Amino acid sequence: MTVNKEKLSKNPLEVVTWEVELERVGIVRRILYARRWYGADWWFVSISALAVALFIVVALFPKFFAPYDPETLVGPRFMAPGAHPDLPVLVVLKNSPVNNLKDLAVSEGTSRPGISVVQGVPTAGALNEQAQKIDNQIKNESRGLRLRPVIVRYPTLEEALQAVANGNNQAAVVQSTEWEEVSDQFPTLREGQSITGVNSTSGGFIFGTNDIGQDVLSRLLWGTRVALLIGFSASIVALVLGVPLGLFAGFIGGTFDRLFSLLMDSLYAFPGLILAIAITAVLGPSILNIIVAIAVLYIPTYYRIVRGQTLSVKEEVYIEAAKSIGARNMEILRLYIFPNVIPSVAIIFSVNVADAILTGAGLSFLGLGLPPTIADWGIDLARGQRFIQTAWWMITFPGLAIMVVVLAFSMMGEGLMEIFNPKLRER
Amino acid sequence: MPNDILYSIRNLTVEYQTRAGPVRAVDNVSLNIRRGEILGLVGESGCGKSTLGKAMMRLHTTPAKITSGELWFDGRDLMSLSDREMPNVRGAEIGMVFQDPMTSLNPVQRILDHLTETIHTHEPETSDATARVRVEELAERLGIQRERLNEYPHQMSGGMRQRVMISLALALHAKLVIADEPTTSLDVIVEAKFLDLLKELQKEFGLTILLITHNIGVVAEVSDRVAVMYAARMVEVGDASDIFAEPKHPYTQGLLKSVPNILLDGTELYKMEGSPPNLLHPPTGCRFHPRCPYVKDICKNEDPNLKPVVMDQLAACWLYQETAVNGR
Repeated sequence: MTVNKEKLSKNPLEVVTWEVELERVGIVRRILYARRWYGADWWFVSISALAVALFIVVALFPKFFAPYDPETLVGPRFMAPGAHPDLPVLVVLKNSPVNNLKDLAVSEGTSRPGISVVQGVPTAGALNEQAQKIDNQIKNESRGLRLRPVIVRYPTLEEALQAVANGNNQAAVVQSTEWEEVSDQFPTLREGQSITGVNSTSGGFIFGTNDIGQDVLSRLLWGTRVALLIGFSASIVALVLGVPLGLFAGFIGGTFDRLFSLLMDSLYAFPGLILAIAITAVLGPSILNIIVAIAVLYIPTYYRIVRGQTLSVKEEVYIEAAKSIGARNMEILRLYIFPNVIPSVAIIFSVNVADAILTGAGLSFLGLGLPPTIADWGIDLARGQRFIQTAWWMITFPGLAIMVVVLAFSMMGEGLMEIFNPKLRER
Repeated sequence: MPNDILYSIRNLTVEYQTRAGPVRAVDNVSLNIRRGEILGLVGESGCGKSTLGKAMMRLHTTPAKITSGELWFDGRDLMSLSDREMPNVRGAEIGMVFQDPMTSLNPVQRILDHLTETIHTHEPETSDATARVRVEELAERLGIQRERLNEYPHQMSGGMRQRVMISLALALHAKLVIADEPTTSLDVIVEAKFLDLLKELQKEFGLTILLITHNIGVVAEVSDRVAVMYAARMVEVGDASDIFAEPKHPYTQGLLKSVPNILLDGTELYKMEGSPPNLLHPPTGCRFHPRCPYVKDICKNEDPNLKPVVMDQLAACWLYQETAVNGR
């Protein structure tokens, strides 16, 4: 990275050495040498960019990361993070192909499978109910399969399990906490799923479950998709509308400019969230409407910045020089003004995405954003706030997710601003 | 119109509409620019030289307005062209070089793109490759290395950028280049090189150059003819050699006397009394009369016209026009 001194201007006011140096290196070096050149820390940008990339990947493939479906009831209510749920689970032989209750179904006419339970516990009732439910389901599939197990009652847990170990019964149904205590005594047995078809003890629920038994982690991961969808779409819509309007208003000036500036300033004068609430209240709750509401909120931001920059760039001598070589208005806009304005737009964009995510979550929190079944951080927060004293995890994790994603986007925006437009900081 | 005149300004008046009232920055000015000459237009700051230069390309913007006068370029009446037709003349036939080379190039466009874009603007059918070849040849001619064409303006020095600006005008073989204080922000060595370049281009391409400057030394160095402006009026026009040898108008005389001269040591530098008038309320009669050492009664009331004093030297001064008064 040696700089040819002769090529540098003699006048120190003209071009600063590091600016010339900066011009000659690639983007990777720019980021790496950020600290040396303009005091920005490269890891600052790298970490936030990594976080943003991670969030985008999660938003694209939530199914791959989420352990459960976000909308089904997969466990008991209010499970603390990491705690194991006490569910009636199947216990079978280690080499048995049976994993859940459905696997015990057999063709009509063959001998019905035996399931051992412990006398006097409510497990048997639950088992009967669930077996009946599954039986009705597979009857309708009419493949000749039925699930009508013979429920064998034993006085103690050990006897019930021993019957399975001996091969007398196909499976036992016991509470998972009880099974954990005695599992060492039955090395030939293993735990299957719960009778409702859930892997109960495989790690439990990392972030716990909510008030109706949905997995908080899964909802959080699926919520990323909604949050980023709203953040990006709203910002893109605002950019696509705001930037051209600002360009034309600044360039044309006159009545057109006054009219739009008045409109945009009156939009800007509204407190953001209140305006968004008003728009969604009129349009009704759906993802599309929330995007429209937030986009309307941010159009003035782009408009004002682009208009201001256009006004100042328009007065530059090189615009006059462009006219003197015969450039027409559209060419001046496209080749001279737009490229000079776009760097600041890119920076606002990344900060704007963060802001839009926050506003989107705020709207959902107030119940104005999305239908409550959808996995969304704002909705989860609203649900969790009622149980903040009993289930801290319901509100903590979605809150943290919002914080981290907003921080990552803002940090990346700030970092990029310093790397691409170091003059902003220097002067 | 005689064919050796490339650009003819006839009784041009340009006004700035200000809150305090209209300000005439160019007042009833006539000037002929001959083919292939370098015409130096001198005057102090604020006398209307730059306004005149811009008005010649109709590049003036509000609040400036041409209120009367004609602009004839190469047999065409520029004032009759519409705003849509005017860009075809700019760049292609009349080029312009601006005062500050640091700000007159688009900072986000490479030099090469500046030049090829100029060609494409006026000749859309030219292929990229052809345009590039033309640009490279031109750049080489102007002393810009081929590899530097891929650089951005801020990577170049002021002198380099001024070369780029003039190559923008030459890319389409403009007949006239209006250079508005092209050397003001350059140091003396770069300035000298740039002036040499202008002279070479004049000879090689038969280029006509209007050199607007307040630096009388620059004019002396390169100009074939000189036009002197004072307070929005043209006060003297003539061959450079004549004007520098024997200035007719008292203002020109004062200007030349106040140039520092290394040969005349000892005596204090001449200083013209007073300061340029406020164009909002210009003095009656000859605008120079409050400062003129030879002021007469007529100067205070009657406006002198630009009239020949000797052969090719015109001056607007009552000292040489006694008879004209009687003729009115």
